[in-house]
Order: sequence, then structure tokens, then C-alpha cells
Amino acid sequence: MHNAADYADLVETILAKAGHEADEAEVYLSVSDSVSLELRRRQVGEAEKAVSWALAIRTITDGHIGASMTMSPARWEDCLAAALASGRIADPQVWDGLPEPVTFSRDIDVCDPSLTVDAGTATDLITSLCKAAECGKAEIAGGGVSLGKGSSLIANTNGVFYTREATSASASLEVINGTSTGYEFDHVSHLRDIDTQRVAEEAVFQADYWVGAGDIDSCTADVVLAPTALSQLIGGILLPALSGRTVHAGRSFLADKKGVACMDPSVVMYDDPYVGIGATRWDADGVATRRLDYIREGTVQSFAYDLRTAYRYGEASTGSAVRGGAGGAPVIGVHCLKLDARRDAVREEKAVLAHGLIGAHTANTITGDFSVELSNAAWVEDGEYGAPIRSGMLSGNLFAMLADIAGAGEEQREIGRMTLPEVRFNSLPIIGK
Amino acid sequence: MATEESRYYDVRHLVGTSTHIDIENGTIEAAGQSFGDTAIVRALGATGWGMVIIDNFSDAGESGLSRAVADALALSHATGERVELADVKTGVLPVPAIKEDPRDISLEEKTELLASIESAARLPGIVNTRARYIESEGTVRFMDSSGNEYQYESLRSGYSILAVAGKNGEMQQARESEHAITGLNLRHKEEKGREAAERALLLLDAAPARGGTMNALLDPELAGVFAHEAIGHASEGDLVKEGVSVIKDMIGRQIANSVVTVVDDPTLPEFGFMPVDAEGVAVKRTEIIRDGVLKNFLHSRETLAAVGDGEAGHARAEGSSSPIVRMSNTFIENGDATMDELLEGCKTGILLKGSRGGQVDPGRGVFQFNAEYGYLIEDGEQRGMVRDVSLSGDILSTMHNIALCGTDLKLTPGYCGKGGQSVPVTDGSPHLLLRNAVVGGRHA
Repeated sequence: MHNAADYADLVETILAKAGHEADEAEVYLSVSDSVSLELRRRQVGEAEKAVSWALAIRTITDGHIGASMTMSPARWEDCLAAALASGRIADPQVWDGLPEPVTFSRDIDVCDPSLTVDAGTATDLITSLCKAAECGKAEIAGGGVSLGKGSSLIANTNGVFYTREATSASASLEVINGTSTGYEFDHVSHLRDIDTQRVAEEAVFQADYWVGAGDIDSCTADVVLAPTALSQLIGGILLPALSGRTVHAGRSFLADKKGVACMDPSVVMYDDPYVGIGATRWDADGVATRRLDYIREGTVQSFAYDLRTAYRYGEASTGSAVRGGAGGAPVIGVHCLKLDARRDAVREEKAVLAHGLIGAHTANTITGDFSVELSNAAWVEDGEYGAPIRSGMLSGNLFAMLADIAGAGEEQREIGRMTLPEVRFNSLPIIGK
Repeated sequence: MATEESRYYDVRHLVGTSTHIDIENGTIEAAGQSFGDTAIVRALGATGWGMVIIDNFSDAGESGLSRAVADALALSHATGERVELADVKTGVLPVPAIKEDPRDISLEEKTELLASIESAARLPGIVNTRARYIESEGTVRFMDSSGNEYQYESLRSGYSILAVAGKNGEMQQARESEHAITGLNLRHKEEKGREAAERALLLLDAAPARGGTMNALLDPELAGVFAHEAIGHASEGDLVKEGVSVIKDMIGRQIANSVVTVVDDPTLPEFGFMPVDAEGVAVKRTEIIRDGVLKNFLHSRETLAAVGDGEAGHARAEGSSSPIVRMSNTFIENGDATMDELLEGCKTGILLKGSRGGQVDPGRGVFQFNAEYGYLIEDGEQRGMVRDVSLSGDILSTMHNIALCGTDLKLTPGYCGKGGQSVPVTDGSPHLLLRNAVVGGRHA
């Protein structure tokens, strides 16, 4: 496999030319290989290999920030010209410079040297996934496995030249029993950590348990959101509200709540950029990452800033830049988010537990109001599953819910860039059929 | 070029430029261009598909193509399912004429036009305005081992304007957007900025919806999302083939009220238009439901061969992703009910307007979608405004609960996500009256 560092000469050439035409310049380069197998019922129907290459250039001249990206090494000059042109149109802002290089004292662990991106390894994984799915009556409808290896590089005209290598393995399974469906997945950095057994068993359990599920009467009930369900609301509502850009632009519910106790006193949320799938020592601006405490004791401690937002509003970068903006530019995001609250036996008292939410992306991202369909929900009591619920609509306001938490479960689960427990919320309205 | 083992292979290569502009609170945050060059090569071995996705494919040359086909074929050995391809008509439609080509307009002028929409939204009481423009243009080349070879130009552009109103610590937002394949649509759109702002201001005083089971009147935009989520996805041949569609065994059966006809038509010159599908198949109008009876599934070549009962020409892909069965321009056809008849038929219930999107679990047959706002209906009259109102239901029972279809079919452009891919679509419908709809709200 080719490596981002293999393009060091190209990067130096770009920076040399860009340095003549702009005050400062930055190059981000990413290369990756992946292999994935996709199930069509019990058999593999598709085998796919992807070879990706992307180059993003950012230039800054008198506070005018420009950006462009390309998939072709041969088009780097077009890309640089487009970045410079982009900067000429963008309004200028306060800019105190791209970061200088630093030495990192800690390492991260997101690369598995033993992981090989090949169809044979993927076949072994999918075989174990399908075998593990024989544990119940549900039939496999789809799913798959994927293996990836990638490297990225960031360099700027101030001498920053950092590289990061990462590997990934993922598995997912969708099963059905009649019209009862189950879905589960896993995504890890190290091949040894992928748990195809758990993925299969949980998916099959969901589909089998919800066969013959009944209706729920409209009611007000405590609701336990599993990490899969909770991550949809946290990612869609809470994280945008903690972004410095959203806060200063006037579209964050939390804008005036820094230092205000606005959540349950046990709520803790922070970004630990050294532990998790998204672990990185440097952010998308080339700024050294650090732990960022968003919420402590139910009080908003800090918002997240990338370099441009920090300079504009007189704040310090929190090392929260991630790639994902137009033209490959950095935007504010998270690396390895952790959420917790006081531990409790959240399934002891009677409540409705939901594994998933249908339509969470339709929430009002500014006010936090949402109204979604429950997916794989059931009554729980005394730590046991009770009657499965076929359908019901859950409504609420995430910010109000976080102020009225009954407790968080013992186990944490990593879902993408978030690690979350089950959380029990007090008294939420559910509309039954 | 292909080895003896290859039963079929095809190549889809996209080269193009994307343009973006982002203006927030009067500040031009970004305005620029990026360059794409990517391809997918698929080969069908003795069993299933092997696929190779390669960035910077223009530099690969003839030898790169041969190598990619060989790699795809080698990968296909990891598959176990014997994939067959249906015989289909091939061919490409002419791309609709462009009225004003955005490629001829400078980035500076487009930025100024977008800024005029954004500034129009800055009314008193508005605390945030954000306008964005996206444009993607390029060339799509397709060739396959059967001798088919197509090339066409693709051009899509559009804008969105978000306005956030604030008062006494409360905030509400409203959004307008327009996307098109027929050229630049940024001129003289200031009223869209004002509309977003005025609605955001009105929403500050709107009451949260009260949930429950009630009659619901859906406006054409939301009813279009309903058609898309409730029946469109369930009719996709890949989901039918995998057994995760509640309508998988229902061809020829009455699955909706007889007033309902649902169509997917990629030939319409709307945002979901495609001159040819992603595997070279000629596109055509497909009636999913006619007079309440399930007539056709949407198919790729593979799912048509495996499932039957429908039409191929519905394979689509985002960029160089693997083609999967997708909708294009999906709509419920006009009925004959007037607005007065719809309101009278509703009597007491809720009028739902605009869309914040939706989602479906086609295997369970459960869907959800969210209106941007609504109005209570009492005694057939439109009353107070409500916010944060959503609707969910069971596909099979809900389709029978469509009591009346209006006569004001309107298509609305947007994007649809499936399998990690997002593609441009339009959804449409006339006003619909839905009986016994399950409406979600903050109060039970």
C-alpha cells in the first residue's frame, strides 16, 4: 500500500510554491486502501476494494482563507490556484498564524500492524459472522465486513509535518424474522477487538425477541436510551450546540450557558483525543490535541474551537478541528467523545428501553425538540426485558432531558467517535397506536 | 481486455468540479472549487460482483483499466452468490437544456447573488442567517463489456437559506432551498430569504404540537416525503430481494386506497433526472402503485433478474460508489379533491407543512417523517400554528388511510440517503388527507 509520507516531495513542492503566493499555506494529504464484503442474505454478493487519494490545500493571505481539494496529484497546481482564488473572495478575519511544530509526549493506538487489507481476512470475518448468526430463528438479510488501512499527513509553511496511520475493521449484520428486524455493528481499530459473535447474537436477539411485539398505549414513562439510540441525539443536537462557531453565530441553545448549571449535576462530557477510534495527536489545523471538558457537574465548561473560529472570537483553539468542510477545509468536531452520568441500575425500575430511533435526524437541531419513532423498544423491569413494543413515538427536548436524568448504566459502548452508556431519562411522552 | 472468466464488466468514470459558497451573518466564510476524478470498475465472475474504486482514474490509462478489471475479477472470487443480470434496453436520453449555465458565471457573481438572498433574511428578530450554494458539474463516462458506451454532462446547482429567530431566550429556525438541473437559480430569489425569516419569526409564537391519533392534511412537500419514505423505499428491488420489505410478496394486491397512484420517473427534467442509469440501462417511468394496486418494484439489472415484477433502470450511485437501487423523481399522482373538500374531509385534525426529512424501516414497515410546521384544523377551518410535529405509521395500514388526493401536484428537490450514499431526488404529491394518522408531539 502507498503511504501519505511517500508524497513528501510533492508536499514540499506545493508548500514552496504556495509560500510565495500566500502568507501561509497548509497541505493535507490522505491515502487509504480498503476491502469490503457485502452479504446478500447468507452469501457474499459483492466484494469491493477502494483505493483513495485526496489532497487539500489551504492558503491564508491577509486573513483571507482559501481552500480547495483534488483527487489527482497532477492537478495540484489547479488546486493551489483554486485555493488562492477562493481566499480572494472570502471575507478576511483576524488571523494569528498556522501552528508551529511541537513534540508529542504521548502516542496513540489506532494502527494495527497485523491487520492486512485483503479479501481472505475479510472472508474469515464474514464466515464467523454468519456462523454466529445461527444462534436464533432470524434470517440474515444483509450486512458485511470491511477492513481499511490509511495514512494522512499535514504540513504547513511554519514547519509542521505530522503523519498519522490508522487501521479499521468493521462488521454489521441485518437480520429479519417475519417483519421483525434486528441490526447490530462493530467498528474497531484493531482486528483482535472485533466481536462478530456479539454483533450476530445481538442482531438475532433483536429480530427474534420483537416477533409478535404489541402496541403501547399513549403514556408518560421513563425511557432508557441504549448507546445506539442516544448517539443519534447527542451527535445531531448536543454536539452542534457546543461548537464555537454555532455559539458565536447565534444558533446554539447553549450559547449563554457557559458556567451555568443546566444539566443534571452528574453529567460529564469531554473529548479525550488520545483514547478511541478517532484518536489523534494533532487536529485538522495541525494544532496539538488535548482533553477538552465540555460539561462537568452538569455545567457547560467550554465550547469547541478550531483555529479560525478561535482567532475570530478571541478564544484559544481547543484542538477540535476535523476534516469535513467544503474544499477539504477543517471544521469543528470531536475526536473521542465521552459522556457519563451517575451510575445506576437503569433497568431496575419499570421503563421503556429503546435500542434505536427512526428519524432522529429530523430533530430541531437548534431547540433540541424531537419526535421520533421507537425502534426495537421494550418494557424493562428488574433488569429484565419485558413486553416488546411494536411501535410508538417518543417526543422530548434533549436539553430538558439532560437536566432530568435518572442515571447511566455501568457499561460504556464506543460508537464511532463517541463512547456512551445507556442513559435513563425521567417521564417522557410516548404516543401509542 | 477482460479475462476469460469475466461474464461481464463495466466502468463508470466521473471527472468534475464542485463549487461551494457559504455565507453566514453577512460574512463570506468560504467560496471555492474542488476537483474530482474517480471511477468504479465492476466485474462479474463465476459468482458475484468484484468491484474496484480508484481515485485519480484519468492517470490510470489503458493498462490501469485492464489491471482494475483483473483486480475486480479476482475480488469476485470472494463472493458466493451467483448473480445474474436481466436483459435490458440500453440507451441514453439527451440532458435537458440549461437556461443559464452557472459555469459561465463567475464565482464572484454567484457569491453576490447568494449574499442578496442571505441579506434578505436578516429581518428584525432574526439572530442568525446562513446561505449556502453548491454546484457540481462534470462528465460521466460509462462503458461495458457488452459494447455499450455512453458519455454525458452532469450539472446540478442549488442554494439553501436558513434563518434563526430569537426572542426571550427562545429560538426557532426555518429553511428554504431550491436545487435544479436546468441551470443557475440564484437570481431574484430574495423573497426566499424573507420567507425563511418570516416563518422562523412566526414559529417563535407557535405552540408545540399535541400528539395523538388524528386526521392529518399533508401539504405537497410533506406528502412527497411520505410517498418516498412510506412506499418508495419498500419498492426498491434490493430490499425486496433481501426480504426486508413488507411489500415483498404483494405484487397485484391492493395495498393502498384506490385514489393512490405512485410513480418513479427518472426521465422527468427534475432534480432526480438521470439520462441513463448507473449501469447503462435506459431509464423509464415506472408505476409503483396504480389505483391502489402494487404494480412494479424498482430494479437494477441484478434485482430484476432475481425478483422480477418491475423495471430496471433505477440503479444509481453517489460518485464512484457501488450502484444500488434508488428512487429518482417519485410522486403521488393528482386526485380530484379540492382544497375545500380536503379541509372539510379533515374536519378536526392537523395540517402539516414543509419537511425536515424522514426515515423508514422497510422490513418492519414503519416510517417516520417530520413537518417543519403545521396548523390545527377545527371544523374544517385552519387555526393556530404548531411546531415540531412529526408523523409516523405502519406502511400497510397508512396507505389504506389516504382518503383524498388533491389536484395540486408539486415536486420538491432534495437528497436521499441509503447505504451511506446520498443522491439527488425529487419527491412530490398533491395535498393528501390521511385518516387516523399518528402524530407525535411534546404532550401526549
